[in-house]
Amino acid sequence: MLHYARIWLASARYSITRTLMFRGDFFVWALVELFWMTVNLLTIAVIYEHTESIAGWRKYEMILLVGTSLLIQRFLMGFFWSSIFEMGRNIRSGSFDFFLAQPGNVMFMATTRKLDPDSLVNSLIAAAVVVYAVRQLGLEPGAAQIALYCLMVACGVIIHYSILVLSISIAFWLTSAQGIEGTYFTLTEFSRLPRDAFKGLVTRWLFVYALPVVVVSNTPAKTLISGFDWRLGLWLAAAAAGWFGLAVFVFNRGLRRYASASS
Amino acid sequence: MFAKYRQAFLVGLQGNLVYRWNFAVRGFFSLFHLAVVVILWGAASEGRTELGGFSLNQTITYFITLLVLQFFISAFNEDYQISEEIRNGLINQFLLKPINYFAYRLSIFVAARLVSGLLVFLPLLIALPFLRQYLAFPAHAAPYAFGVPAMIMSAMIQFSIAYCFGMLTFWFLEIQGFVILSMAFETVLGGQMFPLDLLPKWAYDVAQWLPFYYQMYFPAAIFTGRITETSAILQGYAIQAAWVILLLLVNHALWTRGLRRHTAVGG
Repeated sequence: MLHYARIWLASARYSITRTLMFRGDFFVWALVELFWMTVNLLTIAVIYEHTESIAGWRKYEMILLVGTSLLIQRFLMGFFWSSIFEMGRNIRSGSFDFFLAQPGNVMFMATTRKLDPDSLVNSLIAAAVVVYAVRQLGLEPGAAQIALYCLMVACGVIIHYSILVLSISIAFWLTSAQGIEGTYFTLTEFSRLPRDAFKGLVTRWLFVYALPVVVVSNTPAKTLISGFDWRLGLWLAAAAAGWFGLAVFVFNRGLRRYASASS
Repeated sequence: MFAKYRQAFLVGLQGNLVYRWNFAVRGFFSLFHLAVVVILWGAASEGRTELGGFSLNQTITYFITLLVLQFFISAFNEDYQISEEIRNGLINQFLLKPINYFAYRLSIFVAARLVSGLLVFLPLLIALPFLRQYLAFPAHAAPYAFGVPAMIMSAMIQFSIAYCFGMLTFWFLEIQGFVILSMAFETVLGGQMFPLDLLPKWAYDVAQWLPFYYQMYFPAAIFTGRITETSAILQGYAIQAAWVILLLLVNHALWTRGLRRHTAVGG
């Protein structure tokens, strides 16, 4: 464990040094993410100019939900995105060899190599949006509630991470996984919707349970709004464990197929 | 004179047909986006007959129109292609031949959009049994006749903006940051997140003077009957045409100035 913590710290130090070298890039990308978060919040604000509720959710409850979804996404982007995204390309080009020769678990080495400090800075802003919504709603969550919220967000990050690793692992079989990361973004759109808006049996089953993108953001948000729901919480924790297990399995299966590439 | 651009167009057509699956898959994924739209706006208009003066069906029809327009007139990755050609030195060959780079690129853009635009109907046709209940297009011909010129000018604005970003490669090594930043503006002010008439009046009035409004929202709003007054349409045409001309001038200026900085190496 300590060994991995040390490796991770070394990668983090490297990523931060790199960011300090390309400060302009850092500002542009931090700004890009900030704008995209604003786009999502603005849409909510505009819709609530014309209606009082979306599937029973009031304006600030919805902002709390969107803020939570953005927070999970920022963490994923900040800690894993660049590494996983590059993994797809490396598998194709054969540069993936590099990770096989490193002193540690291949999946860990390949998916945690690069941090994106610009996303991590924006995760503070997403957290501020959540705090703001909590204030506006007049909620006063206790320490246990906040701890459970953080735990649920962590489960959410694990689920997103696993789904992303799964989709990029396709590259082991198809060689080209280009554009597959687009699917991930399409799915995250669903995570900004309240669970109660999924009316049809099929959509509810598909997006709420089969692909847990909706529960991922709804469970933590609901924890702050109306208290922790044990059934949903346990479901989310089980889903996190299940998806992570599946990702590890598929990744290792894919690894066996990896045949490197000659130039 | 035009024969050479016709060839470029044909080559573009073939080149893009190679990626037909890519476009089709993108089209299918847009259906997920459409599902989000239906769920979100459906939930927002629950228990109401209208949202900002339009029924739920009109709003969803607007988003479907937007989707079709996106595949017909949006610039997808033209900016990156141009950027790559500048970086790789591929543009050098255009400097030596009697061919206008802008016209060449435009011909390829038209070919590409023809392919992707027609392909988007494939997923839409498959989803039609589900979507049919939401369709609420205007019943008379006028909106369609008025919409086509707006659509063509929108395509010009889309392409010119992408071309401008491509030209920035003469000054900056990486343009991705600029492109995605501007995409955030286009997404909101072009009406892709919500129909712009839902904005507070002052914001809508400001948006009407910006190019983003004419990139996507203007033709979509005419086609779906959100803008019906002839005077409003004519005023829109005038502002849109002004933006087309301005952007073309900027394109030309960036090209001539960029070339002064450009160094062609090797053969």
